[in-house]
Amino acid sequence: MEKMKEPIKKKWIWIGLVLIILVIVPWYYPDKAVEPIILGFPFWAFLSGVFSLVLCGYLSWLCTHEWNIVEDFEEEEKRKVDEK
Amino acid sequence: MNLAFSGIDGVIILVFYALVMLLIGYLSGRGDKKIHHSMSGYFLAGKNLGFIALFFTLYATQYSGNTIVGYAPTAYRSGFSWIQSVSFMTIIIGVYLLFAPRLYVISKRNKFITPTDWLKYRFNSKAVTLLGVFLMLWGLGNYLLEQLVAIGQAVAGMTGGTIPYQVAVIAFILVMLAYEWMGGMKAVAFTDVMQGLVLMVGILVFLGGALYLVGGNLTNVTTFIMDSEPAKVGVPAMETSINWFSILLLVGCGAAIYPHAVQRIYSAESEKTLKKSFARMAWMPPVTTGLVFVIGIIGISMFPGLNEANSEQLVGMMANEIASINSFYYWVMILFFGGIVAAIVSTADSVLLSFSSMISNDIYGNFINPKASEYRKVLVGKIVGVIAVILLIWIAWNPPGTLYQIFVLKFELLVQVFPAFILGLYWKKLSARPVFLGMLLGAVIAGVMTLTGHSTVYGIHGGVIGLLVNFVVAVGGSVLVPVSAKQEGRADEMTSLKIEA
Repeated sequence: MEKMKEPIKKKWIWIGLVLIILVIVPWYYPDKAVEPIILGFPFWAFLSGVFSLVLCGYLSWLCTHEWNIVEDFEEEEKRKVDEK
Repeated sequence: MNLAFSGIDGVIILVFYALVMLLIGYLSGRGDKKIHHSMSGYFLAGKNLGFIALFFTLYATQYSGNTIVGYAPTAYRSGFSWIQSVSFMTIIIGVYLLFAPRLYVISKRNKFITPTDWLKYRFNSKAVTLLGVFLMLWGLGNYLLEQLVAIGQAVAGMTGGTIPYQVAVIAFILVMLAYEWMGGMKAVAFTDVMQGLVLMVGILVFLGGALYLVGGNLTNVTTFIMDSEPAKVGVPAMETSINWFSILLLVGCGAAIYPHAVQRIYSAESEKTLKKSFARMAWMPPVTTGLVFVIGIIGISMFPGLNEANSEQLVGMMANEIASINSFYYWVMILFFGGIVAAIVSTADSVLLSFSSMISNDIYGNFINPKASEYRKVLVGKIVGVIAVILLIWIAWNPPGTLYQIFVLKFELLVQVFPAFILGLYWKKLSARPVFLGMLLGAVIAGVMTLTGHSTVYGIHGGVIGLLVNFVVAVGGSVLVPVSAKQEGRADEMTSLKIEA
């Protein structure tokens, strides 16, 4: 049986989340950060977009890897019902 | 928006979509007596939604037709800073992670029907319950109104006025009421599968067509914008960035605790299904609001210099151009516009169901007739839902201007339920009176700021300022006037992670 995992109890999850948000919002760029234009995106928007994708990946990964409370119990119950 | 390309073809597609929705509603309600005789059966699909249905109902509820029709023009007007729509839709999953894991367990153990059930159970206070119900119903009502307005506009535009605005609203609402009446949440979730798929595919094809029209090169588009309107490409001003942070908080906290969103947590068949659905949902913003953002940017080079009112028609104008590429694109655009209508309906149906459930469970079952049978409670919810829709249509006949403005308004009040909802899950010392005061103060601040035309101060939304005050009052009050050891023990018991009662 896997150990019980609840996201709220892990500080690093939330520190990570805040850090990603801090780099998504473009508050720290100098005005000239428009060029180079990458794949049609101005430099700052390209990076913001990339970090937004990082956020998607991070949250998606957290959902499957850092959240496990009653899953083992429920799946076990389901298996018992299926066997009957 | 007026589409020259459709007319009668559009009518045919809309009738087709309507029939499919009715069929799905009929099939999901057929032979299942439990649906109409049990609150959990009707409003939560028996708490038994599997992965496909749960994922699509989360998707189609979160992303409405408005996401396209309203967000592309916003991207058009604000330029690249609208890339924020990807992060603010993603952060919602982050907020779910704050509370959904524990709330799922508690809701299964205590058989919750509505979000209010949690507030009532945790605080045992009429004041908190009633204020919570009021704020949530307000948010839902406003949201539903927005969808009703949008249905009419989309249909009238798509059929080139062949179906007038008013007829469109009434026709689609009748369809929605009919399938919802027949199958409850089950019908809502299964129609969402169809509606969500059409929306996803439609956005992709639309973007394909738009890219084709600008020669397949986004860099040319951006260079054009840099020359003509450099502000839309430039690094956003500090106030825009602050506003971006503010909207992350507002949308993240607001959208995650929308009653219909919370009820999807309750409806999940299992924790495994729920987290799998959320894990997939986390990837949806880039392929939904992200692509719509690019569509809006392409629009700047296709139709430069539109004023605010004209830019609202952007999606229709682009669709006309795309439809004239060839007959493949023509038919796909018609399917797509039908899809937009379907997507609006799919959001409206979830909101309406949630609204009905709160009337049925929180008001009727809680205060008016607690001894009523489940069948009767469900029936009251259905009937009041119909009455609410009639009232809202009456308001919808005078639709407000820009869609985005109302979108922010509904969150301002709804988000004030957040501290009670989330802090209550983890902090045993949180007590009812400060929670009530905080919620009330937060709502008053948000409401007054918005009504007096100060909806943001230096980019920060009134709802966020209200939320901060709300937090401080709820926490400060609970520290100053501590709860008894007995109450603390009770709270500990209530928020435990045991699955069985």
